[in-house]
Amino acid sequence: MMDKELLFGRMITCPKIQKTDEEYQRTASFIKGVCQRCGQNQRTSLPRNQFYCQACLILGRVSSLDDLIFLPEPNNFDGQVELVWPGTLTKQQVQVSKDLVKSMEQGRNHLVWAVTGAGKTEMLFPLLLKAFQQKKRVALVSPRVDVIVELAPRLAAAFSNLSQVVLHGKQTTPYGYTQLVLATTHQLLRFKEAFDLLVIDEVDSFPFRGNPMLQYAVQTAQKGTSMIAYLTATPTPDLKTAVKRGNLRVSYLPLRFHQQLLPKLQIKRVNDWRLKMPKLLKKQIEVFIEEQRQFLIFVPYVSDLIIVERYLQDYTQLKGTTVHANDPNRIEKVQQMRQKNIQFLITTTILERGVTLPGIDVLILGADETTFSENALVQIAGRVGRSHERPTGLVLAVVKQVNLSVFRAQKQINAMNQRGCQLKKKFGVKDELSPLSAKD
Amino acid sequence: MTNFEKLNNKTVCSGCGRLQDSLKLCFDCQRWQQAGKFLLKNQACFTYNQAMKEYMRMYKFIGDYQLKDIFTKILQSLIKEQGMDIIVPIPVSQQTWLIRGFNQVTAMLESTSYQELLSVALVDKGHQSARQRKDRLISQQPFALSRTIDDLSGKKILLVDDVYTTGATLYHAADLFYQAGVGEVRSVTLAR
Repeated sequence: MMDKELLFGRMITCPKIQKTDEEYQRTASFIKGVCQRCGQNQRTSLPRNQFYCQACLILGRVSSLDDLIFLPEPNNFDGQVELVWPGTLTKQQVQVSKDLVKSMEQGRNHLVWAVTGAGKTEMLFPLLLKAFQQKKRVALVSPRVDVIVELAPRLAAAFSNLSQVVLHGKQTTPYGYTQLVLATTHQLLRFKEAFDLLVIDEVDSFPFRGNPMLQYAVQTAQKGTSMIAYLTATPTPDLKTAVKRGNLRVSYLPLRFHQQLLPKLQIKRVNDWRLKMPKLLKKQIEVFIEEQRQFLIFVPYVSDLIIVERYLQDYTQLKGTTVHANDPNRIEKVQQMRQKNIQFLITTTILERGVTLPGIDVLILGADETTFSENALVQIAGRVGRSHERPTGLVLAVVKQVNLSVFRAQKQINAMNQRGCQLKKKFGVKDELSPLSAKD
Repeated sequence: MTNFEKLNNKTVCSGCGRLQDSLKLCFDCQRWQQAGKFLLKNQACFTYNQAMKEYMRMYKFIGDYQLKDIFTKILQSLIKEQGMDIIVPIPVSQQTWLIRGFNQVTAMLESTSYQELLSVALVDKGHQSARQRKDRLISQQPFALSRTIDDLSGKKILLVDDVYTTGATLYHAADLFYQAGVGEVRSVTLAR
């Protein structure tokens, strides 16, 4: 029989014909046709009146020939974890981290509504440290695998004596019993009543948003007494509603790590930019060339990439390329941009979040088209001003007509900035925000 | 991701159907012949390339039964082309029925009339894919003829399996039929 540790807080399939020790809790894999691992009712038939769950098949098959086995989470940790991170938090980050600790102590869920580039991860450190020292088991999850892959080394470096495992669809290292689990939200389906603290980063992003199976996974993976911390720059309407109704506590972090406000979303109207390169675009490109500034141009569709690329081919001194979700060289191209080997990328919404390119400007062509939701626009605006050297920059939405999403995105940024201004007064932060000029 | 690679109209070994430069018997088939076997003249629909391995992983090992439908048509038409008397699928063990829940071969034979003349006789046949080539070749006869058919003598039997790897499985099955006095045994597999 397998190592018991590997089953603590886990829910694993086991063929009905395979015997297990009595201490393993065995439950039927389906109750009234509903898969007991993922909570969905999406069965596919097998011969001889058997069936399996199609919804969570990606994690291995749950069939009517299986039981689910489980061992309760014993929290077998020594609590000797130390924080060895050499940095310090800003006053606002300290405030948010205190709020979080308080919510954990009271067993309440908490939303951290922090602007893009606020330093959310670091702000979690006091909360995580407290949890680790209290021998709590912690999961830090995100719908996006790139977020998890990026977080893993940072957390490993920030704490000593901490055991952690990274779980996602493409990882090849086997599962081990650890106090910290870093994983994509899908992986939570393999856990049951395991976590005392569950942090969900980028909670509003695909595929978590509006996915009942993944919401079920979160509910099942936590213990009854646990806390969920949601982190995002752009909360979904249901999270906002929960805050309004008082069901969810919230902390705002309206200032970025360099204490500056978000760059404003500017809106300019043009004629059909797909037919002819707008004058506005020409002028802006000339400014970019003159100032040797790197920039991203967001477009609604993959088919638009070539249109805009052709426009820019007239500028022989400009070097750049296009990128989209299925581009096999996606990572290399972003790397080229980061190393300043190229001056621009024309991109679909794939680069809307998770990408930090210091000192860039952003244009959004067709910002009024349905591809760009309010939150997508806020995330895109968040690509700008992410360095101490250049904490501001240009975010220009180029539209045929201003629509509700563009308007709301602008309002959302302004509202965050208003909170930011108040905070700056409260904490006495000097206003270093320089107006956008040719020389910064 | 590679694509599935079809084998029809390709130059293959006339003994096992593997893709090669000539129609001559490959080294493995020469060995079967030296061991005194009548060659199976196996024919396969596809090479066992990366795409096919990934398919088999999803279909057999993860157990996504509905993937059976992808190759049903092409496999059945290759079977039909052979013009044999009795189609016999390679069986899976009782254990596999209780874990995987399906026979990956018969699942693909919906509109073909076949006879399940073979059964798994060994208690633990084990999975062939879990064994090394050497183990496979010297393994014991895993099958039994499940019921005596009135007259198999002179009949032409077509064995059907999902993958031809070493040929050991199919040659074991063929042995039983030759002992029962059939005229000829050949085989068709989805992949080689």
